[in-house]
Amino acid sequence: MSASSGPLLLQIRDLRTYFYSQAKQAFVRAVDGVDLAVFKGSTLGIVGESGSGKSITMLSSIGLVTSAPGVITGSVIFQDGDKPVNLLGGLPDYVYLEITDGRIMAVHKQQPQWMTRVRQNLKPYRGNNIAMIFQNPKAAMHPYQTIGAQIMEAIQLHTDIKDKVAARQMALNWLDRVQMDSPRLRFDNHPHGLSGGMCQRAMIAMALAAQPSLLIADEPTTGLDATIQSKIVDLLLELRQDLGITTILISHDISVIKRLSDDVAVMYGGRVMETGPAALVLDERNEQRHPYTHALLASTPRRANANAQGYLPAIKGEVCDNINIPAGCRFLSRCHAINDRVRDRCRRMEPELTVVAPGHQVRCWLRQEDG
Amino acid sequence: MLFRQFQVEISESNQLSWWRTAGRKNKIYVIYGLAVVLAVLVSYGLGALHWLPHDPDDMNFDSLMAGPFTGGYLLGTDFMGRDLLTRLILGTQAYFLPGLMAIAIALVLGAVLGVSAGYRGGRVDTVVVYCNNLIDSFPRLILVLLVIAAFKPDIYYIMAVVGVTAAPLVASLVKGKVLFLRQKNFIESAIALGIPARVIIIKHILWYNCRALLLIQATLGMAEAILIETSLSYLGFGVQEPIPSWGNMVQAGANYLLQGNFWPSTAPALAILFTVLGFHLLGDGLNDILERQQ
Amino acid sequence: MTDTILEVKNLVKHFRQRKRLLAPRADTEIIPAVDDISFYLRAGETLGLVGESGCGKTTAGKTILKLLPATAGQILFNGEDITHLERRQFRPYRRHMQMIFQDLDAALNPKMRIRDVLQEAVKVHSPQLSSAAVKVRVGELLDLVNLKQNKLVQFPAELSGGEKRRVGIARTLAVEPKLIIADEPTSALDVSIQAQVINLMRALQNRLGLSYLFISHDLQLVELISHKVAVMYLGQIVEMGVTQQIARAPRHPYTRILWSSLVNKRTLETTAPVVAGNWGVYDFERPAAGCRFASRCPIFVAKGKPSACTDPATAPQLKGVAEGHQVRCHFPLKA
Ligand SMILES: Nc1ncnc2c1ncn2[C@@H]1O[C@H](COP(=O)(O)OP(=O)(O)OP(=O)(O)O)[C@@H](O)[C@H]1O
Ligand SMILES: Nc1ncnc2c1ncn2[C@@H]1O[C@H](COP(=O)(O)OP(=O)(O)OP(=O)(O)O)[C@@H](O)[C@H]1O
Ligand code: SF4
Ligand SMILES: [Mg+2]
Ligand SMILES: [Mg+2]
Repeated sequence: MSASSGPLLLQIRDLRTYFYSQAKQAFVRAVDGVDLAVFKGSTLGIVGESGSGKSITMLSSIGLVTSAPGVITGSVIFQDGDKPVNLLGGLPDYVYLEITDGRIMAVHKQQPQWMTRVRQNLKPYRGNNIAMIFQNPKAAMHPYQTIGAQIMEAIQLHTDIKDKVAARQMALNWLDRVQMDSPRLRFDNHPHGLSGGMCQRAMIAMALAAQPSLLIADEPTTGLDATIQSKIVDLLLELRQDLGITTILISHDISVIKRLSDDVAVMYGGRVMETGPAALVLDERNEQRHPYTHALLASTPRRANANAQGYLPAIKGEVCDNINIPAGCRFLSRCHAINDRVRDRCRRMEPELTVVAPGHQVRCWLRQEDG
Repeated sequence: MLFRQFQVEISESNQLSWWRTAGRKNKIYVIYGLAVVLAVLVSYGLGALHWLPHDPDDMNFDSLMAGPFTGGYLLGTDFMGRDLLTRLILGTQAYFLPGLMAIAIALVLGAVLGVSAGYRGGRVDTVVVYCNNLIDSFPRLILVLLVIAAFKPDIYYIMAVVGVTAAPLVASLVKGKVLFLRQKNFIESAIALGIPARVIIIKHILWYNCRALLLIQATLGMAEAILIETSLSYLGFGVQEPIPSWGNMVQAGANYLLQGNFWPSTAPALAILFTVLGFHLLGDGLNDILERQQ
Repeated sequence: MTDTILEVKNLVKHFRQRKRLLAPRADTEIIPAVDDISFYLRAGETLGLVGESGCGKTTAGKTILKLLPATAGQILFNGEDITHLERRQFRPYRRHMQMIFQDLDAALNPKMRIRDVLQEAVKVHSPQLSSAAVKVRVGELLDLVNLKQNKLVQFPAELSGGEKRRVGIARTLAVEPKLIIADEPTSALDVSIQAQVINLMRALQNRLGLSYLFISHDLQLVELISHKVAVMYLGQIVEMGVTQQIARAPRHPYTRILWSSLVNKRTLETTAPVVAGNWGVYDFERPAAGCRFASRCPIFVAKGKPSACTDPATAPQLKGVAEGHQVRCHFPLKA
């Protein structure tokens, strides 16, 4: 499948999600200007630092960030048939910021109206067209309903199968496809009585059973052992080929990302630092990559990377602070590639995404011409 | 469907600004309820300190059953020419402390039973469910009357009965909460850390996770206590003349209704209405806001 | 130091599950989540525990920590039998045995701020600490796991997955245990922080002689940090030995399949189907007689389905095949 071509399915533009923290009287800038494009039928992999806003980006896009003091701006264009819809349309109308001296003093938000609008915007799409596999399956499943009932509910709601018996059959079928052992027994289990990985598989089954056109998978394979992991990966590949499901895959497992994605976006401190075809972004020898991507991939905990005492290389320095965001490059304090040519610019100004190869963009002064 | 479930998870982060995000309806409820609570507290304080506009037993035979705003009586007088306002204020004495006692009994007993039912399950659980059903299917007033018949018509006895009979409901709510929390595993991890069971129960379960629920039950419990006290006093089993209670004031005034003097009984009736309503709305509003049942 | 800190003898944990919601008590299914496992762990040593998802790793860990009652068997901590200790008697031991929970939310009371969570953990076993000392300690813990100070005022639901994970790790370290059962401690972390956590675990081990029971699905990580590895399949240990032996020269067919599916992932370009043999889905409803792995075993098929593998009387037992290397198979692979 050719990467980065064809029609777009989802386009995120300048998405910002800020949480107002009263305790700190400041904004937590969880997502701070993210642009992403997902092509129909392709898979976009998102990697990045823990806490860099990967989950919140996706949750805000599909209206699942309901936290009251949150502010979401930007646009998320979803291609519904031929008709583009902005999933965040109208939301800014319900938020007023009180700004004095350029600082945000207070947030006023008409929460009920805001929530209603979110629901209105997304009602036609959630589940039907867009399904999500959550990062923490135990928390995202209903604790009192059996997993079978939950999957059946998804099937009856979102597909043509309304008949109970058929839905049950279908649910069992999906449990089977996600490699659940003894599906008939597990069908009547509550999430509580399942192991971590089983819960995860149930969650995957539930998301897939709705037959979405866009699947957002937030670390779908963490709790699974190697054999089942590769089975799930195969299943996702198969679904993409058969049904043309578009996938956004968030994962820390680079090998899963490599195997599945056409394009990759790398996030750091609430921003996309690099995006491009997987082959270019994940290529160890590619000199055009962002220093963060380079450092991240180099710290994969593998024996080959460890030193004589068994210690692993890790990116030095503290994780990115998403409250006091520096004026310059967010990665500056940890950057190893920086040189005298760009140091001054790195301190003063944040670089823009720059095209370094067809479809490959990097946010780094090193990759820009002098000028 | 996913949306609904996820919301539960996210909404827990809204603690900080629960007031901001509350809907207008609930805000009005809560403000009204708090005003009522304040009024009751002030009345109780005034009564206890004897800072009253008039002597409650001072009869003025020149103005019997006077209307409001006449002759220096803000709310008028009753059939014996006693100041209604004073007697209304003093009327709170009849239920305030007993009501608190009922609440305390209900909450403590309910919490203990609820936690043991949720935590240990088994026999305690069965007993709680059973008691709850039993009490639900039995008019509480009759139970109270039985107690009065067996012992004596003392308000504290009565409130003890009210408290005990309210406990199973609290227990079943707490139990539900505990069962829900147990799914979340953090109790298990608290045990793993070596935190003593008593701390887990009191701090982690009751204080952090059930305090909203208990607060709401307390407000509803007060409303219940007021209703029971006034009904009994109305029937003549509770507080006896000449000590004022809203219940016996309504009863005393009711004798003159047919003569067209409706005010002496309406005033205490309205007091009951607005107070009970206040506690109920407070409970409702808090319930919506704190428990987020949208 | 080579004294045994933890010894587990024939540990069994069965769950009962009612077949239907209102089924009578007798009408239950028994799920043998942990079925007769034995191992020991020396001070300063790491035992990696790997296996299929749902094979009972977490259950084993929780049972060892007495969070679940053992159905049978014995658990010895520092030579003392703790299997039948009562809760109250066992509490002092908790300071020395801790668990990093697999479930991200597990450690965190949703209504408590992170600061309260960590302060509580610091104070549990050293109540005499002044509040200033507690604060300092909390700060240290945050630094250990590379978490920002400003996350302290947040509630668990306001943290990202990896941040929750790190709070969980910090909380475990707060009581300075001797033995940590780490149930997928690196899941939800980015690779750089994974590396930091692994380094931290190793540094603590070198400095303080901690022992770990390291449960993970990341086999390469297990290879990296464990001295010994035990491979579980459906509640039983099917192979146990020194890491190098297990990883390089597995003798049990399941171990080989497990590790080869990893190799397949390494060379991503060749995306051949991962598993050899008939990887049918195992059914608890048709409990295996004899070897539990038989229904999926390539050797079993290759040998013409010998009855030794399916006869309950001759179910394979763990047998030593080399120094410190045990396998539960009638026909172990060639080394
Ligand atoms: N409700 C909230 N209030 C304040 N801050 C929040 C809230 N929710 C999330 N955050 C912060 O936003 C940041 C981004 O979180 P997010 O969950 O998107 O990270 P992530 O990239 O998915 O990380 P991980 O890989 O660890 O899951 C985190 O630093 C988190 O602390
Ligand atoms: N509370 C419970 N009640 C009933 N069965 C349970 C319970 N907890 C676990 N089980 C069952 O025990 C078995 C082992 O579960 P366990 O959580 O130990 O697996 P695991 O090896 O940790 O798997 P994973 O890698 O997916 O976390 C599973 O079949 C599970 O369904
Ligand atoms: S912009 Fe400067 S600091 Fe940022 S990554 Fe590039 S070189 Fe490093
Ligand atoms: Mg996340
Ligand atoms: Mg587990």
